[in-house]
Amino acid sequence: MSRGNLALSAFLWFVIALFVIYPLSILVLESFKIAGTDTRGIQNYLEFFQDTYYLKTFANTLVLSALVLLTTTLFGIPLAYILARYRQRGKTVFTALILLPIVLPAYAGVFAFIIFFGKYGTANLLLMEIGLIQTPVNFIYGLHGLVFVQALHMLPFIVLSLSAGFTNIDPSFEEAAEVEGASGFRRFCTVTLPLCTPSYLAGAVIVFLWPFTDWLTPMILGQVDFLPSIAYINIAYHFTDMHRKYMGIVAVVLSSTVCIALFLLARWWVEKKKYTGLSKGTTSEGRVIEPSLLIKSVSYLYMIFIAILVLLIPVVLGLAAFSRRWVFEPFPDYWTLDNFRAILVETPLLIQNTFVFSGLALIFGVVFGLPAAYLIVRTRVPGKDALDFMITLMLAFPGMAVGVSYLLAFWQGIPLATHWIIMPIALFTRRLPYFLRMAHSSYLQLDVSLEEASEVSGVGKFRTFMNISLPLLLKGVLVGVVMFFVMAFQEISTAIFLYRGGWETLPIGIFLNWHRGMEFGIAAAMAFLMIVITFILLLIIARISGGILKAAWGPGGT
Amino acid sequence: MAFIEIKDLFKRFKKVTAVNHINLEVQQGEMLTLLGPSGCGKTTTLRCIAGLEKPDGGEIIIDGKSMITQGFVQPSNRGIGMVFQNYAVWPHMKVYQNVVYGLKVQNLPRRTLQEKAQQVLDVVGLNGLEDRYPSQLSGGQQQRVALARALIRNPKVLLLDEPLSNLDAKLREKMRFEIKSLVRRMGITSVYVTHDQAEAMVISDRVVVMNAGNVEQVGKPEEIYDQPANRFVADFIGAMNFIPGEVAEVPKDSETVYVHTVLGKKIRCRKGLDPAAAGLKVFASIRPEDVAVAERPVPEMENQFKGVLAHKAYLGNFLYYFININDIMIRAQVSHHVTQEEGDELYFYFNPDKCLILS
Repeated sequence: MSRGNLALSAFLWFVIALFVIYPLSILVLESFKIAGTDTRGIQNYLEFFQDTYYLKTFANTLVLSALVLLTTTLFGIPLAYILARYRQRGKTVFTALILLPIVLPAYAGVFAFIIFFGKYGTANLLLMEIGLIQTPVNFIYGLHGLVFVQALHMLPFIVLSLSAGFTNIDPSFEEAAEVEGASGFRRFCTVTLPLCTPSYLAGAVIVFLWPFTDWLTPMILGQVDFLPSIAYINIAYHFTDMHRKYMGIVAVVLSSTVCIALFLLARWWVEKKKYTGLSKGTTSEGRVIEPSLLIKSVSYLYMIFIAILVLLIPVVLGLAAFSRRWVFEPFPDYWTLDNFRAILVETPLLIQNTFVFSGLALIFGVVFGLPAAYLIVRTRVPGKDALDFMITLMLAFPGMAVGVSYLLAFWQGIPLATHWIIMPIALFTRRLPYFLRMAHSSYLQLDVSLEEASEVSGVGKFRTFMNISLPLLLKGVLVGVVMFFVMAFQEISTAIFLYRGGWETLPIGIFLNWHRGMEFGIAAAMAFLMIVITFILLLIIARISGGILKAAWGPGGT
Repeated sequence: MAFIEIKDLFKRFKKVTAVNHINLEVQQGEMLTLLGPSGCGKTTTLRCIAGLEKPDGGEIIIDGKSMITQGFVQPSNRGIGMVFQNYAVWPHMKVYQNVVYGLKVQNLPRRTLQEKAQQVLDVVGLNGLEDRYPSQLSGGQQQRVALARALIRNPKVLLLDEPLSNLDAKLREKMRFEIKSLVRRMGITSVYVTHDQAEAMVISDRVVVMNAGNVEQVGKPEEIYDQPANRFVADFIGAMNFIPGEVAEVPKDSETVYVHTVLGKKIRCRKGLDPAAAGLKVFASIRPEDVAVAERPVPEMENQFKGVLAHKAYLGNFLYYFININDIMIRAQVSHHVTQEEGDELYFYFNPDKCLILS
């Protein structure tokens, strides 16, 4: 174990301690503060669990999580099966479309669906025009709308993990059941599905945790009685009412606890239940079936249905972005570029901020992430597993927890929050796992003997890394870089707590335009712009990694 | 009529022909082995019999019933049991559940399931492990679970796809005999796929040697070894010295052929299966164990040559001599009691009855 590795480890731990452990402990400490006094105690928590309103928000969130998981599972199983098992034309396009919501910001979806499914939205107006209904149907405002929006946003995670499961099952497990006389459906229920549970669970936990993180969707849909939303309202709207602020922090800590606990539980369970070790020699393609004409048509219809729902997001936002005064009409009738002029010419600061902050966060990410990946994969420095664990844990932390804790921790003491540098730092901390996981997995695939050969030839460790490892890792690292940028680019949950006048990013701009009741068109234009930029970045990833599929499959987590 | 008949079977994957119009018959109660290098089409043939692959042409008849041409019969309705290469023992089910799965599908009463499971677990020697999960079993035990599962429905045909290839060498040898005696005792018609020639020799009543989608030879193990049909079979089964040459003369009314080779003197060989004529390019072929070695020339010995011992390889129960003669390397299998050193000159001779001509 070289001195260099130890120094590197110390540096990485310093960063983690300063930007993860320290602020999060401040957050927890703050939740024990009692308003109006200088003392600490568990009163806040006692109150939370005795107050019927807070208990209700907790229960509501659990119910919402269960409903979202149920919906995504019911819709996801057939979808994943079709994508993984059927030999069909256009599979790549459909896969890319269905997985699109992973890279679209959640708020973009909500806005699009409000415009389309709202009280006097396109769907209602069209239905009334053809006389199917007399009065508007409430498609979207309420629990059902919330479940719909969140489920569509999280569907890709279930589809991804399940189709990975379906593909990775050794074909002979199912063939054995076939030989033993089990019919298709029975085989699916007794062999295929149970064998998929570990991979299903990996996706399901991310889906289940989303309602514990997503404060924005419920608020936009007028549903605030959920844990993250109430936390946001308590902290952001009542910053001067110390008691409500502390109760908000308690809500943040509680939802973070739920997230971390379930995340770890799922990881532990998946680790325990992994069946893959038992089989050898699976084909890369897995089992592929040529479906009958009827099944083929039905599955096409089903995929088209989901794809249309997904496509509504960019299409509706596009319509709204290029128009004005789109009210009480199924489609806009006044086309204009005013919205874009407003963003691009009058307030270019937002776009500039978004790029600067995400870009800086990205540089931090690479500077931290590459050495971290090296340390975790290639050395035996003590504590490297703990480092890996800490960084992975950031996947489960709600963005709000990071935002609030930064606000509390970097105000006095270490006054970073008074400078705009806090924005890229927060984005870096929050999105770090995306880059690290990509670098990590490509590092694992790099044969160590390639590096050893360089060292044996008399080249030092650092130069070996620069000359041999980095060029070979480049592809994976570049994909990680772009993915990191995409995720940092659309981040809102953390940034919303930290921005001050002049530091607004595009996502914050979208939120503010909605929130202050200003021009809806401008918010739509911003969201549309973000989708376009995201799409361009995705195309870049696809170019690098050789396929739109891989590009969409790369990321994970929220 | 044979119990399984394969007629003109043809299977193609995209542009690669896996099975090229082959014909085979398996008699009732017989253990037939499909033997060949990887990619020769043996597993595809087996999977076609099982119904796991749909052939692109030809017919398979099991016990008098058509499986292909009169409507494709699903694997579940073919009355077969199958043991997979990686066992395919379902990891989320206990041993008992794995074994009775096929019966449970038929909704038989629980008593019957338990009785049958008891019997078949007795047969494979897994009593008392019913409640274990596969991950708690050794490779050999998982193998037995797979076997029990394949046998519990009293299949008409047992198909085994390289069932021993994932076991370690010692266990593999033990299981060969167990499987053989088990199948013999139960009298099941079985088809066994392997790439291990020793395994094929031990286990089968008849062996089918396959290469590149074609059947090269069918016969009893000793026929395949002693009378290989061509160079591929001779090379794949055991070791063989191939000495290139051409037929010098074919004496009438005789079982012998003389072959001109680079060794100098003509070699007297046994007549092969194919007709031979003077001038034909052939290989005089002899197995290393049929090459005898001596320090001094043996008087009036046929097929005797002088060479230099280039290299000795110690293989435990015997030695391999690599003897150089005119830049041809002849392999001879000799016992421990020989005394020659590398570089020594020595004499060796081929038994004319064991010397074959192969094209």
